[in-house]
Amino acid sequence: MSTNTIGTLPLVILVGPPNSGKTTLFNFLSGKNYKTVNYPGATVEYSISRLQKKFNLKANILDSPGIVSLYPNSPDEKVSIEALYSHPSFGIPDLVLVTADASQLSRHLLLVKQLIEAKFNVIVVLTMSDILYKKGYDISIAKLSKELSCKVVKVDGRNGNGTDELIKEVREELKNIENGIKQKPVRLDNSVSFDKLIKDYRLIEEIEQRVIFENNGKTFPDIKNANQQLAELSNYLKSSPKNKIDQTTLKIDKLLLHKVWGLVFFLLIMAVTFTSIFWLAQPLMELVDSAFGYLSTEAVQILGNNWLSNFIANGVITGTGAVLVFVPQIMILFLILGFLEDTGYLARGAMLIDKPLSKIGLNGRSFVPMLSGFACAIPAIMATRTIPNKRERFLTIFIIPLLSCSARLPVYALLLAFLFPENKSWIAGLVLASIYIFSIIASTVTAGIINKFSSKIIKEEDNSSFILELPTYKIPKLKVILNNTYHSSMAYVKKAGTIILFLSIIIWFLTYFPDSNPKINANNLTQEQIEQLTSAERISNSYASDLGKFIQPIMKPLGLDWRVGVSLIPTFAAREVFVSSLALIFKVTGDKGALQSSILKEMRRATISDTGKKLFTTSTIVGLIIYFIFALQCISTMAIARKETGSWRIPIVQLILFTLMGYIFALLAVNSLKLFGVG
Amino acid sequence: MKTAADLQFGERVTINSIDGSHPSSRRILEVGFTPGQEIELINISTFNDPMAFSVRGTIIAIRKQEASCIKVI
Repeated sequence: MSTNTIGTLPLVILVGPPNSGKTTLFNFLSGKNYKTVNYPGATVEYSISRLQKKFNLKANILDSPGIVSLYPNSPDEKVSIEALYSHPSFGIPDLVLVTADASQLSRHLLLVKQLIEAKFNVIVVLTMSDILYKKGYDISIAKLSKELSCKVVKVDGRNGNGTDELIKEVREELKNIENGIKQKPVRLDNSVSFDKLIKDYRLIEEIEQRVIFENNGKTFPDIKNANQQLAELSNYLKSSPKNKIDQTTLKIDKLLLHKVWGLVFFLLIMAVTFTSIFWLAQPLMELVDSAFGYLSTEAVQILGNNWLSNFIANGVITGTGAVLVFVPQIMILFLILGFLEDTGYLARGAMLIDKPLSKIGLNGRSFVPMLSGFACAIPAIMATRTIPNKRERFLTIFIIPLLSCSARLPVYALLLAFLFPENKSWIAGLVLASIYIFSIIASTVTAGIINKFSSKIIKEEDNSSFILELPTYKIPKLKVILNNTYHSSMAYVKKAGTIILFLSIIIWFLTYFPDSNPKINANNLTQEQIEQLTSAERISNSYASDLGKFIQPIMKPLGLDWRVGVSLIPTFAAREVFVSSLALIFKVTGDKGALQSSILKEMRRATISDTGKKLFTTSTIVGLIIYFIFALQCISTMAIARKETGSWRIPIVQLILFTLMGYIFALLAVNSLKLFGVG
Repeated sequence: MKTAADLQFGERVTINSIDGSHPSSRRILEVGFTPGQEIELINISTFNDPMAFSVRGTIIAIRKQEASCIKVI
């Protein structure tokens, strides 16, 4: 969507407290075609869409992160509230749709009231009235509308009933606004007094009494002058069954938040999450891998053996394959995250782990960003905005790159496949699981050390707080989760894809040119051996080799040579390029079969030229894995860390510290393995 | 005065006041812990902290140290 269409169409912004059914409503209004930068676990960025065509109303609809009140408490709330008044790229909203859970009216009306007070053009969208009804109550829309003096519409989140009526009201309201009086929102006094909040809540309680009635038609006693009768009112509220907690949720929590079993379930759920990422994705990854291996072979056969075919087969196809091969894993992680969030478990996980995390300077709210960090550090770092305390937030940002993100997976997959033959792939799975556990330990230990000793890297000090609603357990809406997974994965592919493709093409260029044609003494050699020798000669004459000789001294202590060094240089931009670089440097053009097996074959054959020893051995591979666990090799992560922390200090310390840690630990591992006789 | 942090599992009380000097007090008010409301301690995390209270028909988890600013009757 181009920005000028956003400028000319009316802008409707969707706001609401967390768990008020806002995202569900957004899905009803936008259909499938929204543009998103949302990731499961935290709506920290905005989704924008046109209203669905069937509504026949031209307007943009913007989804915003959940807020409790117009007084911000965390960076994400501050951003959301600022954007309400004037969004940096979409401008001032014409109309605000605010969602409120009908069964939580006395809490959710606070934001509604503040929005009306701030003179926004508001339509209230009541959600979850079915839950209210189940409790034995109903709500009078007409009365609520009169009390608030703004329009109120009921929308059923289960089937979208009421959406048409909402559109009708939106249309009318937009027309009214167009025809004259457009109110300009005013800022609320930030130093609002304590008493004002208490007073607001009392007014809301009174409104609730007047608009909610029992199913059988009986109304609540109408208490007009509630201030005088507050005690009576409170007594009424106390015994009111409409404030009863969902019994199923209480029962499930008895188990999932049990003092002992709660932790067991937590660990179990985490274990299942991570193992399924690996096991479920494996067959899909192999499929993608062999498809690209096949394409690459076909390209050479069709176009003949020349620079163009080489460019297409190795530069473009292998480069694209290296990106797409781990899409299944990202999708499965996003799917599981979305599922856990939608059921309501993520908030419980955050509560369970708040205490241990606070011991190392983090917060229970660090949990979801850290979990997302296993997919990709970029959305994870953005998700830290939900952490109100600056120090805890910066520390979370600091350690996120140590968590094993999905870009490392293709690298681990290749290196582990080298260590463990195909018939023992279950061991590779176990080792991968331990790499994950190791990365969690490494990140928490780092956080603990930095929290304890360094006030230089992270200086901010603030009130540490953990206040989080535990939503009612719900059966997740598969359609919504699938939709979000698709959008998140596509956003990721586009972002990562372009960088990786670009780098792959550069590496191809460096390894292919100058286009030398070495003479090989062909006596007593098979055709295959001649091809291998030719390509080895070509590589050692290439620009990449000139570049690689520079880093030879750094690679040597690790038992590696310039060829691995060259493959490691582009990984500072994006680590997954390692696989395609290795492919370009070691792979024999036109080799049949899947990408991975063909790289592995060549890796097993590779020797260090001056000693004649094998280049890739158990010890050097272990060293590489350890290096990849720690090293910060991702330009996008650094850029987002710079943006979110407001300076280069943290990303630069991350780059130097983590890469150094990677190198030193790899060095220690390689040499101690050799000491114990492991080659 | 007794605070929400002193509650026993399953204990049900009414909020008397919120200690305004606590840095988290405003957010605690905003999420619905207002004087006159009835709350119940319905869950305690494995590590004894945070605690989850039922308030206004929902469940809110807060740290023990934050619960101590909720004075109860």
